[in-house]
Amino acid sequence: MYRKSNFCIFAAVVLAAVLNVCVTPLYAQSIAEKTQLCAGCHGADGKPIDKTIPTLWGQQAGYIYIQLRDFKRGDRKSDIMQPIASSLERQDMLDIAEYFSKKPWPDLGQPSASKDVAARAVSANQSIGCTGCHLDHFQGDGTVPRLAGMGKDYLAKQMTDFRSRARGNNPGMSDLMLATPPDDLVALAEYLSGL
Amino acid sequence: MNRFSIVGAALVGVAGLLAAPAIAQQETKQEPKSASGQAKVSPVTQQQLNSADKNSTNFLLTNGNYAQTRFYPAKQIDRDNVKNLHVAWIFQTDVKESLETSPIVVDGVMFVTTSFSHVYALDAKTGEQLWHYNHKMGPITTYCCGPNNRGVQVLGDLVYLATLDSKLIALNAKSGEVVWKTDIADPEQGYSETMAPTVIKDKVLIGTNGGEYGIRGFVKAYDAKTGKLLWTFNTVPENSVGVWATKDATGRDMHRNIQAEKDQLAKTGDPYQKLGGGVWQNPAVDLATNRIYFVVGNPSPDLDGSVRPGDNLYTDSLVSLDLDTGKYVCHFQYIAHDVWDLDAVSPAVLVDVKGKDGKTIPGVIHAGKTGHIYVHDRKDCSLIRFSEAMVPQENMWVLPTKEGARMLPGANGGVEWSPIATDPGQELAYAINLHQPMNYFVENSPYPNGKLWLGGAFKAIPTEKQSGNITAVNYNTGKIKWQVKTPEPMIGGILATAGGLVFTGEGNGKFAAYNSSNGKELWNFRAGAGVNAPPSSYMVGGKQYIVVGAGGNTQVDFHRGNNIIAFSLN
Ligand code: HEC
Ligand code: HEC
Repeated sequence: MYRKSNFCIFAAVVLAAVLNVCVTPLYAQSIAEKTQLCAGCHGADGKPIDKTIPTLWGQQAGYIYIQLRDFKRGDRKSDIMQPIASSLERQDMLDIAEYFSKKPWPDLGQPSASKDVAARAVSANQSIGCTGCHLDHFQGDGTVPRLAGMGKDYLAKQMTDFRSRARGNNPGMSDLMLATPPDDLVALAEYLSGL
Repeated sequence: MNRFSIVGAALVGVAGLLAAPAIAQQETKQEPKSASGQAKVSPVTQQQLNSADKNSTNFLLTNGNYAQTRFYPAKQIDRDNVKNLHVAWIFQTDVKESLETSPIVVDGVMFVTTSFSHVYALDAKTGEQLWHYNHKMGPITTYCCGPNNRGVQVLGDLVYLATLDSKLIALNAKSGEVVWKTDIADPEQGYSETMAPTVIKDKVLIGTNGGEYGIRGFVKAYDAKTGKLLWTFNTVPENSVGVWATKDATGRDMHRNIQAEKDQLAKTGDPYQKLGGGVWQNPAVDLATNRIYFVVGNPSPDLDGSVRPGDNLYTDSLVSLDLDTGKYVCHFQYIAHDVWDLDAVSPAVLVDVKGKDGKTIPGVIHAGKTGHIYVHDRKDCSLIRFSEAMVPQENMWVLPTKEGARMLPGANGGVEWSPIATDPGQELAYAINLHQPMNYFVENSPYPNGKLWLGGAFKAIPTEKQSGNITAVNYNTGKIKWQVKTPEPMIGGILATAGGLVFTGEGNGKFAAYNSSNGKELWNFRAGAGVNAPPSSYMVGGKQYIVVGAGGNTQVDFHRGNNIIAFSLN
């Protein structure tokens, strides 16, 4: 371990590429130390520092684990997250996942969707059946993520990325997004973020 | 099986959903401090289980008895007095999620389960909780259609449970403590458990879910005392190609491009390793021949056949095995190379039926997602007849397209996992059905390492009205005897009794009794949450009870609750 994690956080925020160098010794650290790095982007209080970054606090443990696994395998592409996940072993991933899942879900203060937008989102849910997997009130379970109260821009980007298969780690979700018109996805992002 | 596609706007008021706060769906009341009681249950013998069909005191097996007739022999509650049925007690579980449990009752003790694999032992007379097993779920679960559990079975002094994270557990029937535990399969590869085990002759039989994740399906037998694996039957054999059938069981052309499939086979070989073939529901056991009969679910990926050439044996099939060895006896495939997920899920039922020549022979029947009830010869699994369609069928079998192709029934059925009931005296089978017009979409992607692998999507058409029905079919003629239409698609189950009644529930909370000969409604009750579970019946203290779960459903998004409701006459 030849660099301080503080520096890593700084570097991560400023320049993701530097991470390759910083994060290698993650395995040698305690859970608090390991997750310190994450806090730099995903938020020390659970609120992500940027709209493109997802909420981890209160997210389903199985889902967090699977994402870290997929980043490491390269099944989910991300210039930022791939190098970070590459330094983690399976047990680290499970520990980190459990750690974050036990934290309270943060209130990002996003407004509830308007009546029209909500009606459109509810109808889209009814024809695809999102809650058949994401469960009642979009709370998620196991390897299926919670969506309620997630950042709007992040949600919108993920759905678009599934649709174009730019996010290729779940072809089932891609198929479902392809069967959903883009306008519905916009409504869904707004609706879900305000739940 | 499958189905994320849901139901229409009629079900949940839009306003209701809008107002819904972002709350966790689980744990609606405090965990009880003491494991309080002990359940006073005398050990259940194999002899008792064998004669469960004649037992009008207990309800020992998920579907009533090993033949799975769901015909309950007590007749204290009958057509005349059922109008006086009222609530005896309501038990609130700790889990307000999809409730598909089949209550079983052993000498006044009831065992019920909930979503996320909880088990409760209750006093069947008062509804008082005796113990609660709260399964510590592993972090990784991968399941389809809700975190459901459909029940447990008891043999000796052990209660057998299969969990969402794919473990098989034996609990002490008196205390709910774990006696042994074993891994069935790896949830990270897409395996999960929602069915009740079937326990017979010191064997615990269990299937698996996972047809949406590219698993290789199975039925496994474990030693009931130790949890040691005795045999595994892979529902997909190494040669899964079959006979290149071009027609379904009813003789309709499935529009397969056999040449394209043969070319694909030459290129990529037999797809057996990732071909799906879940077994969602209990096998029926023929005690006379020592054989079991069950149905196998859809191939993976659900809608894209291009990556899985051949008939995809034994998906979408009735299969029979030797109970002792797990060796194949016979099969019958309803839909070869299914690309609609109109698979086989509702449990097989053993009844005597009229053969092709009119002579009475041992038969096996299954209600399909296609909306037909299929009647087979138990000897060789061959098809004797199929019933009139219980739901509208249109454009069968149009192939799924990129833009979406409309076909009826929708991918939930017909008859979903819901068990049917029978009344052998009347030669009738009772099934509950869904009617959900859908578009079928196809997409192509390679096997995603245990991730959701649908090969497309099915989408309910929002402008078309959905509905459901309860249908009585004469299995010796294939003719519909009566049908009751319901405002919403039906999922859950049904029970017939010697009192001349059938009991079943709806997603809007209605639970009702019907005259089993003509479908006339004789009594109903509003549960406040979807009644989407199979009812059971039992006697305690000389009184007959009807019991059913009212907790709604994830798959068809019916209003959630957490009630187990028992009814009696006074
Ligand atoms: C430099 C900023 C940064 C750091 C540091 C960082 N992340 Fe991320 N993380 C992101 C971004 C950006 C995404 C979204 C990637 C995408 O768009 O696909 C993400 C996505 C994720 C996801 C997927 C969540 C979801 O909802 O799909 C997980 C899990 C995750 N990160 C875990 C971690 C963990 C654990 C750490 C610390 C070990 C960490 N991240 C550190 C920026 C960061
Ligand atoms: C058949 C099950 C299923 C259905 C139906 C489904 N999803 Fe998903 N969804 C998943 C799974 C599983 C994931 C996790 C993907 C992965 O493995 O990376 C996911 C991921 C997502 C994500 C990414 C969340 C994140 O933190 O990155 C979004 C957004 C999402 N789903 C939205 C929807 C919407 C909106 C619908 C309905 C229109 C829907 N899903 C229907 C199973 C489903």
